[in-house]
Amino acid sequence: MIDKPLVRRGAAAPARRRSRVAAWAALALLAALPATRAGGEAPVEPRVRELVEKVCAGCHGIDGNSTVPAFPKLAGRHPEYIAFELREFRSGRRRSDVMAPVVAALDPADFPALGAYFGARKPLPGKVADPAAAEAGRTLYADGNEASGVPACAGCHEEDASGGKRFPRLAGQHREYLVDQMEKFRSGARGGPAASPMRAIARRMTDAEVRAVSEYLSGL
Amino acid sequence: MRADATAGRGIVTSVRIALIALALAACSAPVRQAAPWNEITGEKLLALRLQGDAARGARAYEVCQGCHRRGATGSTSGTYPRLAGQHATVLIEQMADIRSGRRGNDKMLPFADEHVLSPQDIADIAAYVSALPVPPALGVGPGTRLAQGEALYRRDCVACHGERGQGDGPKFHPMIAGQHYRYLLREVGLIRSGERGNANPDMVRVIRPYTDDELEAVSDYVSRMTR
Repeated sequence: MIDKPLVRRGAAAPARRRSRVAAWAALALLAALPATRAGGEAPVEPRVRELVEKVCAGCHGIDGNSTVPAFPKLAGRHPEYIAFELREFRSGRRRSDVMAPVVAALDPADFPALGAYFGARKPLPGKVADPAAAEAGRTLYADGNEASGVPACAGCHEEDASGGKRFPRLAGQHREYLVDQMEKFRSGARGGPAASPMRAIARRMTDAEVRAVSEYLSGL
Repeated sequence: MRADATAGRGIVTSVRIALIALALAACSAPVRQAAPWNEITGEKLLALRLQGDAARGARAYEVCQGCHRRGATGSTSGTYPRLAGQHATVLIEQMADIRSGRRGNDKMLPFADEHVLSPQDIADIAAYVSALPVPPALGVGPGTRLAQGEALYRRDCVACHGERGQGDGPKFHPMIAGQHYRYLLREVGLIRSGERGNANPDMVRVIRPYTDDELEAVSDYVSRMTR
């Protein structure tokens, strides 16, 4: 029962790898043509694009698919959630030595446009490194852990982890970033009244559970 | 709008009547209660007065469905109760009591505190959940003492919870028909021991002498009732 998905995943891997290479090639091509890289998406205001290039892209990537695990992927997140987090950083309710000076230099009036920009980028799928952990994570994501009072993550973050206005997209996020945020919720370093459910959840989860669900999500 | 306001006033009027009835009952009871059961004050009153909106409630319910599941079906393990079809008044009462600490529930509190849900969200969630279809009973007991369970129910429970376990919204008596057996068993245990802080004192009195077997028998019977 547990072996089944692993076998299937193994068999499908070469084809998936080929299509991923093709996807990367296509993306590189698009990136070389800045004016058309958005494809069918809404055109980006030059001022917003400049802001993204100067302020955000260095860490989060021009397409919101950060390649550095310390920096979260923003592509495909709900625009309102992105704007909400920018306000949280700006007010200091969400603390970050990296984001604080960056956001302080921004005009809050630009937050919705930045949210709209990254929300419209196409999220790239991630890759599972530890299939066994990912399988355990999938179960936890869908069902939670009743014994310890961990709700199903899918309840708020949606069954496909695409998130929404109030709860962020988690699909494809860097596993290291997810683990780090869970540790910050657990310690209270990621605070603010809005974080009360996540603080409780992080404190009810074991390290192994955090790793498993992060592994699962990073592969979506 | 006018109809809504009237409906809202209707609930408040029913609440007042229920309160007066309770106050009278308390006066005639041999043991005087310090504070009336289910005092309708603060945000409980606020949420009861607000007009709940089921469509908004469906979105606000997001923070509940990680545990109570989609469709508010709860879990047969009894960890999480079924909420679908429960009276809106009861849902509001329980959410408000958990927030105020009258009903101690550390497990749920972080997902229902004032930073997560506003009184309007509470009214909206209650409107949404109370309108959900009640699925067939799922979590039932062993079925070995149903006749005893029925006899106990007829003697002690029917007056408040009704012929079909349907409860009574204006009086804040919950619908218990089709609730998961294990959840019923857990809660009657907490009510008997006095650990459920917002339990109706009338019910505490009734089930205090119950044996474990009797609690199991009546819970099993109730879990098989269809509203």
